[in-house]
Parts: sequence; C-alpha cells; structure tokens
Amino acid sequence: MSSADYVPSASDVRALPERAYDRLFAGRGRVQQGVIAITLAAVLALVAFGVFAPESTAGRLFAVLTASSTLAATLRLSVPIAFAALGGIFAEKSGVINIGLEGLLIIAAFTGIYATDITGSVWYGLAGGVVASTLLAGLFAVVCIEFRADQIIAGLAVWLIALGLAPFLSSVIYGGKNTASVATFPTLADMGIPVISDGVTAPLPLVGTAPVDIPFFGALFDAGPPVYLMFAAVALSWYALNRTAFGRWVKASGENPKALDTAGVNVHRVRYVAVLLSGVLAGVGGAALALGIGQFTGNGPTMVNGKGFIAIVAYLFGNYNPVGALASTMLFAGLDATQLTLQARDVFNVPTELVRTIPYITVIVVLALFGRTRLPSAAGDHYESGEDE
Amino acid sequence: MSLSQRARDAMGRLVRASGFERFLISASALLLSVLIGAVIVLGAGRMTSCGTAAYTLAFPGSFVTQFTGGDAIFAMGFCYDPIALYDLLFLGALGDILNDPTNGQFATTIAETTILLFTGVAVAVAFRAGIFNIGAQGQLVMGALVTGVVLVSVAPPLSGLGVFAAVVLLPLGLVLGAVAGGVYGAVPGALKAYADANEVITTIMLNFVATSIALFFVSREQFFKDPESFANQTVNLPDAAMFPELVFRARDDVSLLALGFGVAVLVGVWYLLRHTSFGYDLRTSGLQPDAAEYGGVDADRTIVSSMALSGALAGIGGAVYVMMVLGNFQPGVPSYGFDGITVSILAGNNPLGVGFAALLFGILKSGSIVVQVGSDVPPALVGVLRGLIILFVAMPEFFRMAGRKFGSFHQTGEQPVATDGGTGGGVDE
Repeated sequence: MSSADYVPSASDVRALPERAYDRLFAGRGRVQQGVIAITLAAVLALVAFGVFAPESTAGRLFAVLTASSTLAATLRLSVPIAFAALGGIFAEKSGVINIGLEGLLIIAAFTGIYATDITGSVWYGLAGGVVASTLLAGLFAVVCIEFRADQIIAGLAVWLIALGLAPFLSSVIYGGKNTASVATFPTLADMGIPVISDGVTAPLPLVGTAPVDIPFFGALFDAGPPVYLMFAAVALSWYALNRTAFGRWVKASGENPKALDTAGVNVHRVRYVAVLLSGVLAGVGGAALALGIGQFTGNGPTMVNGKGFIAIVAYLFGNYNPVGALASTMLFAGLDATQLTLQARDVFNVPTELVRTIPYITVIVVLALFGRTRLPSAAGDHYESGEDE
Repeated sequence: MSLSQRARDAMGRLVRASGFERFLISASALLLSVLIGAVIVLGAGRMTSCGTAAYTLAFPGSFVTQFTGGDAIFAMGFCYDPIALYDLLFLGALGDILNDPTNGQFATTIAETTILLFTGVAVAVAFRAGIFNIGAQGQLVMGALVTGVVLVSVAPPLSGLGVFAAVVLLPLGLVLGAVAGGVYGAVPGALKAYADANEVITTIMLNFVATSIALFFVSREQFFKDPESFANQTVNLPDAAMFPELVFRARDDVSLLALGFGVAVLVGVWYLLRHTSFGYDLRTSGLQPDAAEYGGVDADRTIVSSMALSGALAGIGGAVYVMMVLGNFQPGVPSYGFDGITVSILAGNNPLGVGFAALLFGILKSGSIVVQVGSDVPPALVGVLRGLIILFVAMPEFFRMAGRKFGSFHQTGEQPVATDGGTGGGVDE
C-alpha cells in the first residue's frame, strides 16, 4: 500500500495489521521473511505457554522473561551499548567510522571509577569518564582527519590502547587489574528528589499500587539516572540529526562532503565535532557501566566485554536511526539480561558457558541477515578540501 | 652538486621507495611509542606513591650540580624509572645471552616469538586480501582446543612407539590445529562473502564465542576436564606429542624445531603470495577488488579461502602453543591473536617482515615478565605499547609531514602507503 492511494477511512482499524505486515515482510528476501516469521511464531507460542501452561518449560522461560528484574537488568545493560551506539551514529554519519567505541567505553569506565574515588561523587566520576573518553576520541579524530590514518586500523588502535591503559593504570593506582569499590548511582526512588522520588513510591489513585510495584514495567520507575539519561540522549540525538542544521551538516559530511564544502561549511570541523560527540556519548555510557556496579574490572576483555562492538551492530541494525538503535540495543541487552537471569536462577540447568554466548551469536546472526545497510557514501574516506595546502 | 646535496638526494630516493619508507615508518612508530610509553610511565609514577623516587627529573641535573655544588632549581621525583624499565623490557628478555645462549629467559623469548610468527602471518594474509581478521585469537583458541583434546585421546596408545610416535603425532597435531582454525576462520569469511557481514565485528564476536566454547569443554569431566586436577584443563599429553626441545632445556618449553617450522611457514606464505596464481588473486582482491573481479577472480571464493588460510595459520599457532608450551589445553590463552595484529601491521603485512616484528614482540612479551619480577611497573604497559604502535603505523602521513618539515626530501607524486595493504606494500611487490 503506497501513501498516494491511501485514503483515511473507517477501515483504519483493519489497516493496522496490514501495515504491520508491510513493515515486517514487504521488500525483504526469503531468508529474512522466514526468520521474522519464525521469531514471531516463537514469541506468540512463548506467550501462549506463559499464560496457559505456566508450569511447562516454555512457561517458566516466559516467567523469566517477564520478571521485573529482567527489565531492570535490560535497562541497566542497555545504557553503555545505547550511548556508544548514539556516538557511533554521529561519527559514521559524518564519514568517520569509529570502530574504537569499545576503547572509549573502557577508558571511561576506568576513569569514572577513579574520578569517583577521588572526588567522592558519582556525578564527578561520570564527568571524569566523559572527559577521558572525549580526549581519546579527540586523538582518534586528529589521527583520522589530520593525518589521514586508515579509520578501521586507527579505531582498532584506540581499542587496544584503552585495553592496555585501563588495566595498567588500575594496577598502578589500585595494585591490581580491578579497582577498589566506590559508590554507585542511586535509583530514582532512593534519590530523595522532592516530587519525583515520592511520586514513584506513593500509591497511584486508580490502581492502588505505587509505580515501582507495577509488575514488569515497575522497573521503568525505579532505575538509576543513567537509564533516564539514555532515553533523553536518544530523543535529543534524533532531534539533532533530523531537525537541526548541525544534523544536516553531519549527514552531508558523510554523504557528499564536496557539496557541504561548496556550501561554505568546513567538513573537517563537522567531522571533528561529530567524533568528539561520539567520545562524549560513549564516555557517559562507559562511566555509567562502571558506576552501576561501583568497580572497574580489567581482566581479559575488561568489564566492557565487547559492548562497544555490539553497539556498532545495534546502530547498523537500527539503520543509523537513534530510536532504531535503542530498540536493537534493548534486544541485545534483553538477551544478555535473560541469560544472566537464567544463570542466576538455574531454571533449566543449561551450561552457563554456552548460554553466555547467546548475545554474541545473535549479533552475528543479525549482522548476517540484516547487516546490508547502506553506509554513508563517503564513510571511511578522507576528505581534502581544495583550499588546503 | 655538493656531496651533501648528493647524499640528500640519494636519501630522498630511498625514502620514496615504498619498501624503505615502510621500514622507516615502522621504526619511527616504534620509537615514538617507546617515547610516549616513557611519558606514561613517568605520569603513572606520579599517580602512585613510594618511599624514594626511582627517577628524578631536575634542572640543572645531577651531572651539573655535582661540579657546581648546590641543589637543582627544579626537581621532580617519579616512582618509576623509564630507562631502567626499558632496560629490563628489551635487554632483560635476552637474559645473559653472551655467556649462556640457552638461558631460560631467552628461551621464553623464542617461544613467544614462535607463536607470534603464526598469528602475525595469519593476520598478514587476511590483510593482503583486504580483510581485517581480528579473530586470530579465536582461531588460535579453537586450533589449540581441538589439537589438545584429540591428541589426548590419540596419543597414549601410540606413545610406546618412540620416534615413530612423534613423527605421526606432531604433524597430526598441526593438521588438527590448521583444520579447526581454518574452519573457524572460514565462517566469518563466508559471512562476509555471501551475507555482507562486516568481518571486524563477526571475528571479534567469534573470539568471545571461542573462549566460552573452550571453557565449556574443559570445565566438565564428562567432556575433557582432567578429573584429577582442580584447574580447568585437559590431561597432559605424553612426551611423544611434544615438540622436542633440541638445544634448549626441557623445562623451558621451547623448541627450535617449532621455530624452524614457523620460519618455513613464513617463507612458504611469502612464496604463495608472490609466485602463485592464488596469491596473485588474493593480492589483487586486496588492492583493487573491482579490477580483480573484472579480471575473472571469484571475489567471494577468494574471501572465504583467504580467511580459511588465515584461520588455519592462526590455528597452527594454537597447535604449537599446546604441543610446545602448555603440554595440555587450558582456557585463558594469552592474547597472541591481538599481538599478531600489531606484528602484522608493524611488518607492513609482509610475511618476511613478520619474522622481525614477531621477534620484537617476543622480546616485549618475554621482557614484560622480567619487568613484573624486577620492578614495580605493571607489565600491562606492553598492552599500551601494542596499541600505540598500531596507531602510529596507521598514520604514515604524520611521519611524512614530520619528514618534510625537518628533512628536505621533496616528495612528488607520492603514493600513500596504506596500512591495510590496500596500496603499496612491502619490498616483495
């Protein structure tokens, strides 16, 4: 159904499933259609088992999925991925593929803890993480824009530098790859903000329970500040990209830098701002990740554990749209939360090592099936203005 | 034309030759990384606390004040001494090599070098085909796992056969590692070729998956866990399945045979890339994918086969790690795969250059143990150097600009040397 012959009428109600069908299946390959159909069927079956046969295996899985703690964990785990994904969108839209998001998360996670430890305030810690991540992003920007480095390799270097530097500094300061424990972000109900904190704990007039006690969705009202920052950042990023002059410049810088240059806008400056912005956003995500736990753990792949790379897939899957990126982030984080709950409850006696790989394998499958997104046409290319030199 | 002018011209010509420029860039990148590493060490020395300063920056320095008397006008103490640190890192790795060429520390250096030869050349092969194989780590883990668990069940009945057992078991282990790593490398290759999935992401994800799979199989007694050990590991392999140490002592876990095999593999890969039609297809796909396809190269198949080859080389590295160093399989494999990326980039993705870069990194890895024992500086510093080296090699333009500013080589019509093997390349071009 194209928009031209669409006449609003009383049949709108009937058109809704039709539109949903179009959205899910139209214009897709056989394999994608099949996977979407199977996923839909599986979700429906799971809900049916959950409602009608709660004692069955599928029913118990449904109970795990709908536990309030699962949503809470999903939101918490979404924060670093979503922020890094937003940052990645800005950088890549402007023509700089920032594969070093993982490194930005790592350095921000460590600095967030260190700054909190020194200042005693989680908010200063968050700021410290943002500063560290932005500095590293600045280095990446200079290397890519000024010195025409290969963006992929420079991004890998950013990751490896952070992967070495954070455990190194942790060993210097705390005598081991894991830092000391510091304060964590309080939840909304515990923050003691006059109207809001009372609002979420007081019973609602019609329902009779407090918002925090609502099953499943209650977690939305009892999260830490980073979760609300995440929603705000997604909305702001969407607005900035789609409704402001800066957003148009960023897109033009990635799609047709020459045109932007001709219009009198400095392409290099737009790219610098976009990459620095990706540093700021990833910094919030990384610091929030560490401050949610109150410790930085730096063994092996560190506590960030691939979240920066998952973020890249999240925004590709979300087709560079901040809202889409948030949705796919919630999918990956939801899988991670589910596997954590499965491990903790030991419901099915599944091998934890293999369950842990579910989010990673999903990322690969999603990338293989839906990864054919169109990159900004100048992404990865160096742009040299004719006026330089 | 004066002599200095002529020398300068000759120098300029040399620098313009891409192979030599490559070498200069790698050497400058290394030097710059070491310098910045020293600054980081000094900075870190200010962040920690210690009784007496290990290193003091003063103006005027002690060299002057010892004659003139009095104190320095400005002095700042640091807890770590970068010069002593680099002494431990680079020279410590060689041990007392003049008096005892087979000392334990040098043996460790050789062992590390041997494994880095394989991961380095694995990454280089993929780079040459225009593919970023960040998954050498996962491929090495799979190669090591399969070699370990299969040899554990195959080796004991054969071990009574003496030399004959080694003749059968060593090649078998290498083949097992190659097959496992090759299959694990072909998967992201196929995903890239036929589903357009970015190989950087898929290979990194597969690294995580490989670690989990390895842990799964060796942490359960119904599979391959040694029931008599508290640690997660397989039963030890019999001696017949281990590389013979030849000159070195048995407890140093090093083998000149494995090193020789590694060098032979480097030369083999160099020959393959340079003198065979497969190598030609692989290189043209990396340089000019469109031109390669136009010239009749099956691009998809080249991607899969170069990733399979790359994975197989990393997998052989895993097999050597099991049969030379560990003697069984244990999860928690050191980051040979990531070091392989640096080795390859430092070597300009040239298989023969990998030999030198691997030796350098073998020294760094082995030296970091000396640093851990002999100083307070955390050995994680080597990880920082690894990242810095990649960063600086990735920005040849920086060194060209610096060269233009300080030197007087006028470069006309230069061809930028890309780090991904896209253009330019090593001396073998």
